[in-house]
Amino acid sequence: MPELTLVVADPAGLHARPAARFVQAASKFESRIVIRQGDREADAKSLIALLGLTIRPSSEITLSAVGPDADAALSTLSAELSPYVSQAG
Amino acid sequence: MGLVLISHSGSVVEGLRDMVGQVAGDDVAVGIAGGTEDGRLGTSAPRIAAALRSVLDAGEDGVVVLFDLGSAALSLELALEDLEPVDRDRVLVSEAPLVEGAILAAVQASVGASTVDVEAAAAAAATMPKLPRD
Repeated sequence: MPELTLVVADPAGLHARPAARFVQAASKFESRIVIRQGDREADAKSLIALLGLTIRPSSEITLSAVGPDADAALSTLSAELSPYVSQAG
Repeated sequence: MGLVLISHSGSVVEGLRDMVGQVAGDDVAVGIAGGTEDGRLGTSAPRIAAALRSVLDAGEDGVVVLFDLGSAALSLELALEDLEPVDRDRVLVSEAPLVEGAILAAVQASVGASTVDVEAAAAAAATMPKLPRD
């Protein structure tokens, strides 16, 4: 299962507009895509779930995808998030 | 899939339509009805009916309606009675909080979801956590 860990760099955390873009991009893939912060996780195709994570600046998030287009999904979604995150580690 | 937003204040729904467009994109049809016909705070069944028709006539297959408070529900009921039954069947009324519900509904609509899914997304706004949890 491809996985990618990112650190939220935007001072506002992951706010509504980028979160909505992210959900729209994720919805184009068939794979199940999950975004995880600490011990909580959200379906990347649901804005409610994503906003419900209340992702703060500087927090570490992990994206993972399971399905036929999992790799493509992660590369598209990390590009989508790139203005707001830095690669972890 | 379109949305109709109803408020006692025209400014509220105009601003909300701007927010929806910015968050969800411009592909989601949004009709608004705010204030009375003479520009006061309140709701107007004819204005609501006009907003519903504008979205339905634009060829949207369904409409989710969100409203703010109290008598907006009564005006909406009157407006719905004014529609042809075939149009009324394409309208789903949501009890979700207006602002949060509209944003969540619009994003769901923008990914091509059904009216029922869009209404469910709006309904989740009532219990969505907003403050960060550590």
